[in-house]
Amino acid sequence: MITDKKLTNPFLLQADDLSIEDIYLIFEAADYFLDNYKPGVKFNDLKGVTVALAFFENSTRTKLSFELAAKRLSADVFSFQSKTSSLAKGESLIDTLRTIEAMGVQIYVVRHSCSGVPHFLQRNSSGIVINAGDGKHEHPTQALLDAFTLRQHFGSLKSLNVCIIGDILHSRVARSNIKMLSTLGANLGLCAPGTLLPRDLVKWNCKIFDDIQLAIDWANVLLVLRLQNERMESGLLPSMSEFSKYFGVKYPHLTSKPELVLLHPGPVNYGIELDYRLSSYPNVLIQTQVTYGVFIRMALLYLFKHSFLN
Amino acid sequence: MNIGFLNITIINPAVNITNKVNLWIKNGIIEHCDLSEPNWDNDTELIEASNWVCSPGLFDMHVHLREPGFSYKEDIKSGSSAAANGGFTGVLCMPNTKPVIDNPVVLEYIKQKSKNLLVDVYPSAALTNNLEGKHIAPMMDLYNSGALMFTDDGNCVQRSDVMRIIFDYAATKDLLVSQHCEDITLTHNFAMNEGALSDKLGLKGFPYIAEEIIIARDIMLSEYCGRRRYHVSHISTNGAVRLVRDAKKRGLRVTCEVTPHHFTLTDSLLESYDTNYKMSPPLRRQRDIDAILEGLSDGTIDCIATDHAPHALHEKDVEFESAPNGIIGLETALALSLDRLVHKGILSLQELIMKMSVNPRRILGLPDIKIQKGVNANISIFDPNEEWTVDKNNFLSKSLNTPFNGYVLKGKPKYVINNNQIHKSTL
Repeated sequence: MITDKKLTNPFLLQADDLSIEDIYLIFEAADYFLDNYKPGVKFNDLKGVTVALAFFENSTRTKLSFELAAKRLSADVFSFQSKTSSLAKGESLIDTLRTIEAMGVQIYVVRHSCSGVPHFLQRNSSGIVINAGDGKHEHPTQALLDAFTLRQHFGSLKSLNVCIIGDILHSRVARSNIKMLSTLGANLGLCAPGTLLPRDLVKWNCKIFDDIQLAIDWANVLLVLRLQNERMESGLLPSMSEFSKYFGVKYPHLTSKPELVLLHPGPVNYGIELDYRLSSYPNVLIQTQVTYGVFIRMALLYLFKHSFLN
Repeated sequence: MNIGFLNITIINPAVNITNKVNLWIKNGIIEHCDLSEPNWDNDTELIEASNWVCSPGLFDMHVHLREPGFSYKEDIKSGSSAAANGGFTGVLCMPNTKPVIDNPVVLEYIKQKSKNLLVDVYPSAALTNNLEGKHIAPMMDLYNSGALMFTDDGNCVQRSDVMRIIFDYAATKDLLVSQHCEDITLTHNFAMNEGALSDKLGLKGFPYIAEEIIIARDIMLSEYCGRRRYHVSHISTNGAVRLVRDAKKRGLRVTCEVTPHHFTLTDSLLESYDTNYKMSPPLRRQRDIDAILEGLSDGTIDCIATDHAPHALHEKDVEFESAPNGIIGLETALALSLDRLVHKGILSLQELIMKMSVNPRRILGLPDIKIQKGVNANISIFDPNEEWTVDKNNFLSKSLNTPFNGYVLKGKPKYVINNNQIHKSTL
């Protein structure tokens, strides 16, 4: 028996769809899978459940992670890629979703470049919708696995100082993490140039750092975000090198504070937001995040099935 | 058919009249309009109307009828039916059709299509060729063919030099220039108001300054070019109201309108990502609504106009960021205004009728409507106190993109009479 408790909502569109009890429940189930998983062993908990991976935007780790999680639980998984689908022929999103729906899907994992598409899908479907990243809105399962990684490392997130560095304004990872990590008791800080910070910062309830050294002095954890080339092209930054100089994490930043932990949702632009020498540094937990990601997604799929599909 | 309304209250703020009468419309002409009992004939339907109000025909100076070019969304006939159903007898249609109303041929087409309708459809015309904001349209020709106002609505003239030429050219005939105010360099790909909520929802914002920068520029240009007539379309922000108020105080000939959705809804509704809350300018914050209500009450805002913007269901039922801007408004505007303005004590009934009939007509240079014996009837009749539930299935518009379906509103359109035609509302 993994756990008998149930989730509150039959969907995960954004971080605040999960109560603090829900988050701990997901951790509990992830602990179980982490302890009991062995290569070659499959769990039967999602036997007969069809999971659609509807990825309308490119993804490597999130899609593979969900696919592996669903397969380890014996679900029927099929994936959908927009490039090879009828969307390329001009089929509308709503029709594509109805087509997938008509094939008999119980759980959707959806990624799309437009914010709000998971909401749109949930309104138009009877299945369980999991947001795997929508535009600049949210990426709640990334926040779950980040939180889980920190909980495994520190034991608890209470009073942990977590500073998010980089393109916060355009980051769905930042949005979900700010909500979820604060729910779990962490203090949040943001460090970015003004053009990459949201407006009305008071409402975000975060400490703001204009200097990366001050951020590092304060933080127990750095959550470093990917800086997209697009930000340069749209003129929000004078140059990559200026960004890197003032907001990139360098090797000495970590060697001067050995207990500091670093997370990055990937993919990393080495040399821009992160020094390449840090890729294999002990407290840089990028690979650990990926590993835990599978267990978190197994836990989530299991709990959705257990809570709403019996 | 002839029609008689017993004990109806006539309110015509144009001549400051409010009184109870028996009103008889015979062959489209007001046959009787006082408290005495006329000799009704057998051909007249008599309606007890002691709870109803008769006003001069309401006028909406901002509607998109979509014809020519987008008749699957709306056409002149269906749009004017929707107008009549919502209590209007006159509309000004916008020039962003396909082809654009930037030449007398298209204008003539609109005029032909508008013949024999209950609703008077007046055209506005483009400021610049193909709404491109580069070269001025043949404004003189368009004016002589019947264009009452000039606007690139949907687009905003970005270049200050072009706008200056427009004001200078408009001076020749003292033409009315209007603008959809949006500095597009600040609103690229926007989906909603910019603020804490747009950041939370991950949607690109239309900051209020993008509207206000253009209003400020245009007011300055209109003054510089000789105190020209300038009308601000669908004002939506606190600062915009302040700019117009200041311009009026200085005696400039600046007017403005507001849509019902901008005084009823805030951006908080976008949390649902429902595309029926997507329009341009976007829904703003409560403080903007408060400023708009103040502007309505102190006279800064001259009129209420719907920005009726029909879109087909399949166009709206898409990803939020891909959905077109706009909602329909003709069939809910009067009821929303009565409910949210008159019944909330923001405006008196007289003031509301000023803003929905008298003022827009005056801004466009149309004569005041008279309600007296012997004139052609051009009237709207409504029950200011009836409570009803909005049901979009009763709408006559071709499109159903409204966020107000299911709203319970106090105040309901009943009849409109104009051009010897009577329409009883189906709402």
